[in-house]
This record gives sequence, structure tokens and C-alpha cells, in this order.
Amino acid sequence: MDRVDEATRRDIEAFVYREARLADESRYGEWEALVTDDMHYWVPFGPGNYEPGTRVSYINDNRARLGTRIRQLATGIHHAQDPPSSMRRVVSNIEILSTDGDEFEVGSNFVLYEHAVQATGHLRLWAGRATHRLRHTPDGLRMAAKKVELVNSTSPLPNLAFII
Amino acid sequence: MVLAAETPIVGTGRDYTHLVQDYRVHGSLYTDPSVFADEMKHIFTDGWVFVGHESEIPNGGDWVARRLGTERVLMARTPEGEISVVANRCAHRGTTLCPQSEGNNRNFRCPYHAWTYALDGTLLGAPFPQGFRNGKPDVRLDQPGQIGIYRGFVFANQSGTAGPLSEHLGPGGSDLLDRAADMSPTGRLQLNGGWIGQRVDSNWKMWPESDNDGYHIIFAHESLASSLLAGSQYEDVILEGEGRTKSVARDYGGGHVELDFRKSYTTELAWLGAPRGKVSAYCDDLEDAYGVEKAKSIMWDGPPHAFVFPNLFLGEMNIARIDPLAPGLTEHHHTPLLVETSDPGINRRVVLQSEAAMGPASFFLPEDVVIAERMHRAFDVGGATDLHGHTERGWVELGRGIEREQSGGGQRWSDVTDETTSRGFWHHYRCVMSGSATSGPAEGNGAAPPTDRRATVKADQRRCRPSTRPRGARSRNSSTTRLCSRMSPGTKTGWRWSPTTFTTGCRSGPVTTSRAPG
Repeated sequence: MDRVDEATRRDIEAFVYREARLADESRYGEWEALVTDDMHYWVPFGPGNYEPGTRVSYINDNRARLGTRIRQLATGIHHAQDPPSSMRRVVSNIEILSTDGDEFEVGSNFVLYEHAVQATGHLRLWAGRATHRLRHTPDGLRMAAKKVELVNSTSPLPNLAFII
Repeated sequence: MVLAAETPIVGTGRDYTHLVQDYRVHGSLYTDPSVFADEMKHIFTDGWVFVGHESEIPNGGDWVARRLGTERVLMARTPEGEISVVANRCAHRGTTLCPQSEGNNRNFRCPYHAWTYALDGTLLGAPFPQGFRNGKPDVRLDQPGQIGIYRGFVFANQSGTAGPLSEHLGPGGSDLLDRAADMSPTGRLQLNGGWIGQRVDSNWKMWPESDNDGYHIIFAHESLASSLLAGSQYEDVILEGEGRTKSVARDYGGGHVELDFRKSYTTELAWLGAPRGKVSAYCDDLEDAYGVEKAKSIMWDGPPHAFVFPNLFLGEMNIARIDPLAPGLTEHHHTPLLVETSDPGINRRVVLQSEAAMGPASFFLPEDVVIAERMHRAFDVGGATDLHGHTERGWVELGRGIEREQSGGGQRWSDVTDETTSRGFWHHYRCVMSGSATSGPAEGNGAAPPTDRRATVKADQRRCRPSTRPRGARSRNSSTTRLCSRMSPGTKTGWRWSPTTFTTGCRSGPVTTSRAPG
């Protein structure tokens, strides 16, 4: 791994925390403003060690499909998130895994509590590893890819209709 | 002991001819644990149940873990190439043999005392033979009374008493599977794109209803109307609303139902959302395989949107299976319908389409999940003292379109927004749960719609066809004999019974694959 200076490290960590908070609070527009035009949002089935599209994933969004996802959520009548789940996630173990020019690959672990208020009222627990690809742009750091590998992704999951 | 035909078969005393009426069903059917117990017996033990597809286990030693009702089973390919379905449970002390969802093994070896089984469930050996009479325990893995395969779709019947699979599918169910399988130019689907499971905190019967409900789409999925659905294939086939499309809700009898979009498509490949130029090699392959005329109808009609009783959803370019785990817990598993073709692009498109439509993070299914979970909670109002047995309230209305339904050629059909499909499921359910093995064709066995629908009583209901097999009579000789109905590899259509070493007493019947009228 290439070394990064402390200021860059702080920026990267701040970005990951901010991205998590906007997702927790279902602030779809502000969250979407964090992504680049070539954003790839991927929640694989099992370990993310296969080429997305060659078999089914939970989410395999290019920028256009991510836009559809956000538009559906933002209608306010997406019944699977109406009302939006109350959520808080704890992000930890942040590591800068590699750097490549203006880009940084960042790994982190998360634990997410979701109050699924739409139907069951269950408190749901989600846990996994996120891998961000962050890019320096004139507007600051932006997210070019996010991969979320859930620890229980090979078991049937309840609704995953929020931004994870 | 052989049970007399008149032996009451409703173990819990629930009166299904009252709880399931032509135009309404009672909410306790979703929540009552006694109903669930009856279903596990009469539907998932005594009837045919979809297990998986041959293409999931192409090589000797391949296996996948499945459910037959609530029982864990393994569907495996033996070294000889036969399909077997066996209990995922050691015959010694009952340890689950394979906790994973799939794998490839030379044999199944129990971790507890190393009892080891062949892939067909035969006990190969147990350690320390001196302790056993004849040097080996005289057991094998439990297995269904019969398995049947049609167009690669593997079904099992635990009791062995359900009669031939062809009778369960009937012309309607067989035609639906033919149309799904014919999407592949070789006639063989490749269900190897992975299964994704959705956990639903609701009863399983919300899915035969919801997956084939043409009434809800504009409303339950309204959040997509302005984005994903606008301009999509669904605009023509269902979004226009009542009486404004040529789509039809169809009941084939036997609990097999379809939202038939075929006449609504205004271009070829509309169901794929891509013009021919994007998948030209696939279309060429279809023409080479089937001839221009049949290929054209495949390209126009697309795959069925249908349900095969009791647990198989043909979701256009997805195949889904419904696993009931408890009255209020269901798993909805799906896999993309992949085809054998020289075209590099179509299966990728199908995977993308599948990711948009099905699964817990897709654009459609999560809304249906929330609806199902809200339904379940509305009826699950407080345990054994709630709606169970109190039928003055808590009914589900399913009468939409009952007065304008048409019938003929063994089918019923109506506007795509009518609840003909749900009624088709429930009618067969009532017949099975109240003791008639089959519900017969959807046409001609019904009563005229009552003028005062509240006056509907048992005598007015669509009638069930009496079972020709006495309850309790087993159509096999011993508990270790299996009836196998197999379609020979390479056969694209029609039934052929190919006896295996286990086969005895198979009965076959011709299956019509002619196009549906209406």
C-alpha cells in the first residue's frame, strides 16, 4: 500500500462516515451527490470475487440504474421504504487498501441496526464489509464504487430496499 | 393399515369448504398453525412439489439443498447420471448431512459417526461392522415416494400417492413449462445463474396470490410508474388498466394460473426490452432450432408469467420457488432463466432484468414483501383465540371479475386485472385440503355466479373432481421403492417415461401442448 498523508487520511475517513450518515438518514439526494458518473454499486451474493453480471447479485447498479433506485426511493411511495427505516450503522476498521493516482481503495467494517417500520417492526441486524473506491475530483472526494459484502449474504435476506 | 376412502382426512377439523369460498377466503388460512399442519400433509406431502432443475446439477456428485415442505432434502446427480432426492438427515441419529446450499461430493458422510451414503441415499457403510447384524445397518436416507421430471423441472411427491406428475400438471401446467423451456434454443434451460433468497415474514400463500395478481401492479408498484415502468414492456401489457389491454388472467385448473401477456406485446422481444439487433444470434439460434414460424411466436410471446401449483413461479425470465417454513415465515427464492445459445448477450440481459425485478434489493419484490407482511399482521391478531374458528369477520375478498369470467377448453379467463388467478389457486387448494385429489379442469365444473353473492353457500361452489385414488392407498410396493418419471435427455417436448432401476407401476398420460384458446 502506498502511504497517504494524514490530511488525506482524515478526508477519506470523514467521507466514509458522512456517506454512512446520509445513508442512515435516507437523505437520498445528498447521498447521490457523493457519487461519480461512473459509479458502480454492488452487493454480491457470497464473496464479491466474481464478475458482476455473470450471476445474480443483490445489487449490481451502474450509474443509470442507481439513478432509478434513488428516484424510486425519493417518490415517497416506495412501499418497502414508506416510511423509511430508522437506521444507525457503526463503521470501523477503516483501512486505505491501495492508492492509484487520484483514487483510493478503502476497506471498512460495519454493523447496521435497522428498525423495519414498514410492516413487521422488527429490529434487523446487518453486518459486513464495505469497499469504497474514492476519487479526488475538483469538487472534493467522490465515490466511484461501493461494494458491500454481507456476512450472511448466502442466506435468504429480508428487504434490503434502503441504501446499504 | 389401509385407510378406508371415507376416512376423514382433515386432521385438525378445519372446514375448508367453508373457509375457502368462490369469491372470498378466510384470513385464518394464513395464520392458523393447524391450517399450516394440514397444508404440509395434504399439499406438500401428498401432492407434487417443485424441487429444482436438472441443469443445476449437471455432473455426477453435484447436489443442491432444498425443501420439500418443511423437510430439508438434497437433490443430487448420481455418478450414473440419475437425479435423486433424499432427506438431508442421517438415518442414524438425524444429523443434517449438508449444511451448505450446494456442493459436489462422492458421497454423503455424516460428521457424527461417519455413516456414509451414496448420492441416491443408499447406505454404503457404517464404522465397526461387528456391532450390526449382517455387518451393516438396514437403513437408507429417507426419500420421496416418487420423483418426476418434465422439461428438466424436478418435482417430488413425498407420499408416493399423488398419481403421475402428468396428471398433476395437466395440459395447462405442461404447456407453461414447455413455453418456459422453449425460450432456450436447445429446449434446455440452464438454471446456473445462482439463486437469491428473500425472507418474508408472512404466510406462503401470499405468493401464489401476489406473483400472479394483475390488479396490484399499478398501485403497489406506483413508485416505479414514472421511472422504470414508463416506456417498458409493462406499459402495454398491464399498466393501461382495466379493460384497456389484451392481457388475460387465466386459470388452467389444478391451481395452475397465468397472467397471459402474449396478445398485448406490440413488438417482438418486447418482454426482453431489446430489439432483435441486440440479440440477433439468439434469434437466429431459435429459428435454426424451431423453424421460422415457431421461433417467431417465441420471440413475440416471450416467457410465461405463471404459477404452477403449489410452489413454482414462472416469473417471465426468472424461475422462483416458494418455501413455506412456518405459518408466518416464507422464503421466496429465484434464479434467472438462462438459455443455451451462441449469443453472448442475452443471458447477461436476463441477469440484469432479474436483479431489477426479484430479490430483496430489487425494484419490485420488496414492495410485494411489505404488502404480504402487512396482510399477515392484519390477520395474526393474537394467537389461537383470534380469527381461528370465528368466521363472522376477517375475510379476504377475491371476487373481482367473477361475473364476467369466461370459460372454455378447460380454462377460465378474464381481464388481466380480475382475480381469476387467485381464485384458480384457491379453488384447487380447497379441493386438495378438503379431500379431493384434483380440482379438474377450470371449465364446466363451476356454478353460475350467485346473483346475491353473499348467499354463496357450499352447494353453489365450483365443484371438485372426486379422487380416483382412495386416500391412504399407496401406489408403490415398499418404502424403499421409488417411482420415477423421467423425460429422456434431448427430448424437447412431450412425455416419455423411462424406467429406472427403481421404477414400478408408472402410469403415463399424453400431455397436450396446444395453444390456449381465449
